[in-house]
Amino acid sequence: MDVLAFDTATSVVTAALVRDGQVLGERVSRPVSVLEDAHALLAGAGLVPAELDAVAVGIGPGSFTGIRLGIATARALALALDVPVAGVSTLRALAAGAPGSLPVIDAKRREVFVELDGEPHVLAPAGVPVEPGTVCVGDGAVRYRAVLEASGAEIPPDASELHVPRACFHALLARDYGAAERVEPLYVRIPDADRASA
Amino acid sequence: MILGVETSCDETAAALVTRGGEVLANVVSSQADLHARYGGVVPEVASRRHLELVVPVVREALAEANATLDDIETVAVTNGPGLIGALLVGLSAAKALAWARRLALVPVDHLHGHVASLYLEPEPVEPPFACLLASGGHTLLLDVRDHGGYRVLGTTLDDAAGEAFDKGARLLGLGYPGGAAIDRLAREGDAEAYTFPVARVPGLDFSFSGLKTALLYAVRDLPHGELERRRPDLAASYQRAIIRALVERVEAAASRLGAEQVAVVGGVAANSELRASLPAAALAPLPLCTDNAAMIASAARFVEAIPWPGYLAVDARASAA
Ligand SMILES: [Zn+2]
Repeated sequence: MDVLAFDTATSVVTAALVRDGQVLGERVSRPVSVLEDAHALLAGAGLVPAELDAVAVGIGPGSFTGIRLGIATARALALALDVPVAGVSTLRALAAGAPGSLPVIDAKRREVFVELDGEPHVLAPAGVPVEPGTVCVGDGAVRYRAVLEASGAEIPPDASELHVPRACFHALLARDYGAAERVEPLYVRIPDADRASA
Repeated sequence: MILGVETSCDETAAALVTRGGEVLANVVSSQADLHARYGGVVPEVASRRHLELVVPVVREALAEANATLDDIETVAVTNGPGLIGALLVGLSAAKALAWARRLALVPVDHLHGHVASLYLEPEPVEPPFACLLASGGHTLLLDVRDHGGYRVLGTTLDDAAGEAFDKGARLLGLGYPGGAAIDRLAREGDAEAYTFPVARVPGLDFSFSGLKTALLYAVRDLPHGELERRRPDLAASYQRAIIRALVERVEAAASRLGAEQVAVVGGVAANSELRASLPAAALAPLPLCTDNAAMIASAARFVEAIPWPGYLAVDARASAA
């Protein structure tokens, strides 16, 4: 089974082509060109889009616009190719790339996204529950290195690929392939306009 | 046939149009109800809704035309101007669809789309003409010489005409969108009851912010409890001032260009007083005046398509080209 996986939820966009659990290719770029990456990956494997069997997409949390870009792409691919889609949490993909770590994604506005007790949350960096020795990964860990390290966290060097939600992990984690419209964004935050009324 | 996709503001739309300009399906899912409680379009709310609706409207357009994806030769999609997050939903979906099916793609300028609403069957308008584009997002005077594009003669320096209607409706305690509400109420009122200023801006530009302020003062200065009784007169006078500004300018543009034909496109073209004031103007049918994807597919007929897969890096743009 040939799976195209991608994640556009953070500032670093990742794509991977995975055949039966084996990574055929991986790319990292910027959000608007995720299809360029997909095209290059397929070309490298001698495939055309119609030969894809499934799509795995990062559903966030992260940039709202980025998440939508990825899910709109995945849903349109599903329509065009009649393939199933699986959504994978960007936090869980990061965790799969750095087992035992606590993924921290930049949520802007001096907040971060983390998963606690199986649910994504948005918190102030100083409020992230780290114990001495907890390894934090992700663009939020890089951005708030000083705050997190002050709480005892250990953070790999900024350039480490452990901070990148590599799409091969989305493909490897994806289990629940099905209708694309069931794949929902993980916004975590409600729109500002709804805050007063919420 | 051409599949058009439009998500630049608060309508999620898909349409199927033939090369010859025949509309086979024109599906528009309006978010007006969703935004009504905010009194205007909230970009993040609009973008979330676009994501929910973009694939369903494409499916519905195919069903309406009794067509399949195999019938589509080209995908046309609005890539600006508009709300960037909203545009990216439609653009991402359109690019993915075109790439997966190995189709050509045409990124369409939304304003060109409005003009191209006039080129659809059964009564296509032929250029040249002077065109007023007035909507919630835009107020522009355009010199249209051929099907492929337009030249901007003037634009609004502040609010768009449709925005002026929305803001006026809010001041009068009417609903959103404001254009239809004011138009309806104005029919019961005296348009000469109040004299609202039509801004004198040099050249062919527009300004509506002073008008809005004048209405604010008129409402504020009413004796307590009088608003209910005076509302129709206020609506009629306010509408008169907006329409007068639009009509004066489009006529000035036509005479400057020596254009024999005047056309009006955009949501404000639905306004009954505007229609009555420009009886000879070419108008698109009402469903094609407000944002829709048939006009986007129509514009794509006159723009060179980017062959597969040369469009994968095409980005959205918030402002006019
Ligand atoms: Zn428009």
